Amino acid sequence: MLSKLKHFKRDFNQWSLLTVAVALFVAIPLFSILINLFSGVGNMWNHIVSHYLFEYVSNSIILIIGTGLLTFLFGTSCAWIVAKYEFPFRKWIEKLLFLPLAIPSYIVAYTYVGLFDNGGTIIRVLHSMGLTIQKLDFMNIYGLIIVLSFSLLPYVYASTRVMFLSFPKSIYESSILLGASNKKYFFSIALPLASPAIIGGLFLVFMEVLNDYGAAKYYGINTFTTGIFRSWTMLEDLQSAVYLSALLVLLVFLIVGMVAWQRGRKSYAIKGNKLQENNFQRKKLKGKKGVFYIFILSIPLLFGLVLPVFQLIIWGVQTFDEMFNLDLFWTALQSLLVAFFAALITLITAVALIYFSKWNHFKKINIFKRIGTIGYVIPGAIIGIGIIKSSQGFITFFSENFNVSVGYLFYGSSLVLIYAYVFRFLSVTYNPLEANSLKVGKHISESSYLLGGGKLKTLFKIDLPLLKGALASSFALIFIDVIKELPLTLILKPYKLETLAISAYAYAEDEMVAEAALPSLVLILIVIILMFILKLDKRNG
Amino acid sequence: MDNIIEIERLSKSYDGKINALEDCSFSLKKGEICAIVGESGSGKTTLLRLIAGLERPNNGCIKINGKLVSSDTQITPPQKRQIGMVFQDYALFPHMTVEQNIRFGLKNASNTKINDLLSLIKMNSYAKAYPAELSGGQEQRVALARTLVLKPNLLLLDEPFSNLDIGLKSELRKEIQSIVKELNTSLIFITHDLYDAIEIADRIIFLKSGIMLQNSSVNDFVKTENKEIKKMISNLKLNANQLLNLMESKH
Repeated sequence: MLSKLKHFKRDFNQWSLLTVAVALFVAIPLFSILINLFSGVGNMWNHIVSHYLFEYVSNSIILIIGTGLLTFLFGTSCAWIVAKYEFPFRKWIEKLLFLPLAIPSYIVAYTYVGLFDNGGTIIRVLHSMGLTIQKLDFMNIYGLIIVLSFSLLPYVYASTRVMFLSFPKSIYESSILLGASNKKYFFSIALPLASPAIIGGLFLVFMEVLNDYGAAKYYGINTFTTGIFRSWTMLEDLQSAVYLSALLVLLVFLIVGMVAWQRGRKSYAIKGNKLQENNFQRKKLKGKKGVFYIFILSIPLLFGLVLPVFQLIIWGVQTFDEMFNLDLFWTALQSLLVAFFAALITLITAVALIYFSKWNHFKKINIFKRIGTIGYVIPGAIIGIGIIKSSQGFITFFSENFNVSVGYLFYGSSLVLIYAYVFRFLSVTYNPLEANSLKVGKHISESSYLLGGGKLKTLFKIDLPLLKGALASSFALIFIDVIKELPLTLILKPYKLETLAISAYAYAEDEMVAEAALPSLVLILIVIILMFILKLDKRNG
Repeated sequence: MDNIIEIERLSKSYDGKINALEDCSFSLKKGEICAIVGESGSGKTTLLRLIAGLERPNNGCIKINGKLVSSDTQITPPQKRQIGMVFQDYALFPHMTVEQNIRFGLKNASNTKINDLLSLIKMNSYAKAYPAELSGGQEQRVALARTLVLKPNLLLLDEPFSNLDIGLKSELRKEIQSIVKELNTSLIFITHDLYDAIEIADRIIFLKSGIMLQNSSVNDFVKTENKEIKKMISNLKLNANQLLNLMESKH
């Protein structure tokens, strides 16, 4: 005990304190939800429990299961086909399958109505071909499952494709020599080996499904997230929103626990340099099988990319004269500025947390890093409610104790919104940066210390220059996430702030879906450019 | 002769479970060369990292030049110990040229001083080259020069001969030995090859599973009755005369 105390005194330094401070500051919204649970239920809670709660739970679970199944089926199939077969335009298709991620799911949801509703583009095309269909109704939970699946499919596709590409040739050859058919190789070897990557991709899909607000709201499906908004805005009961948020946090942690358990059980390692041996020759796709496989690839491309963009372009052309004006430029500029500052501050926070905890010698404190980076699994609506509750606490504290009004700082500026983005997206940059710094290895920094370089000199002259590429990619990733983000922005944006996402949502909510097209197209264009930069960065090593 | 380093009852465990080093005590006189031998996982690197201040001990203390640098209650950071260390992977800064790597630890180094040092390590024509453009042997010379230019009291080398071919290895052994004597510094190096240890060290420490089984002069080391050490020596496949020649070669 005495020796532990001595070690604590020796190892706990200013960096330990800063690690704890940064992590706790970032995680205030989560603590706020937990603390407010003790203030008792809101006055509408009983009404919510008796009328809506079952629907929120069941719809959220149905959406998770449905979207999980579809993204698994199409994501894994597409990943397998592009990784193992050669066919015309393979390289293009391989890249295009990432692009549905550039279109926020709420925008895909709007376009489906324009495509398949009464008088919709597809219905008219079918009509001109002699097929008379009134409409395909997507505005139900099954429609929402389809929208979310084709929109989020790249998460499963990306992680699984990398895994399939990394399998060494020798594993395939061994299984064939042992008499396995291609089908048996896929189901008994490839799929189980890729399962950690598939589960990882599915986990991101689940989190995005629970975070979705725009698409569910537009289709009139009651989920946890729409419920949190409803109890706050329509029922004017913030306390019930806190209780719903706490229940959603429970559901999220249940999923996190299940995924961690599954991944723990299925962590198959491919040893040594076998990953580098992969000089697998892709097979040429031919005959009926080729046609079938191309058909499978074309479904997500068509429903996740081509049709939504096609519909947006039609609407964009129709509303061009009305919508292409200075307001659009101003909205785009505000979006870019908010995303820029959010990405920059998130990046600085991530670097601070990584290095403060590295310089701290009391390793038990590292648990705080996890608390600070938990935001990505917490849906935006919860973070929003947590921040509103804690802001109220701060405003009251300053007003009662110092007679100072700080409300304008919280509600009149974008500070709180940017803070919320930092909490939500910190792990998006923290995890890859930490992994990259581990890849660089500790000996490089240690050499600098031994050569007399202090911590800050080592950070600025050695560590950060070596992480240049990872810093740029992380910045672009957060930029993409922030510019697409909707629920958090809706809750916390200052009155005058208008972003592309908010603008598209507002037009669609006012039944002016066509007018939502140009802001959506500008948003998609920005995201595609950033994805292109990310790819370039990857190519440059 | 004064001791450059004194270590008393040093222990280190990771996560409180694995004992990487247990109750290790020894001292080294100024100007001496000490080899730490043992199998993988025997605690050699942990011991070196503890001396450098890159790890913190669970128990015990380390004194350098009579000054307490590691104990239960205090730690002197690596940059204030006047210790030089070359890692097994050399850890050259990949985004800096050879010259920039050497200059890194120096506050005000004249171009002449750097050029002289580059000539000493026969790397003049590589001043503007990046580590990725160098061979293993060249990288090692730069790493060594970068450390020695700061005139450390104690030099630590982690497996300095492991990545080199036989010719280069023998040349480097001689170079290191002469540099240490010339600069009147002390050296502790890790090796899993007993041949390296016997050829250049004055003292050999043998570690097994974190426990120090032997700490003696080379003469006493080869005469020990310890079965494991005897087995290691017999694995060298040297007869008594060859062993004697090897030990005498360093004098």
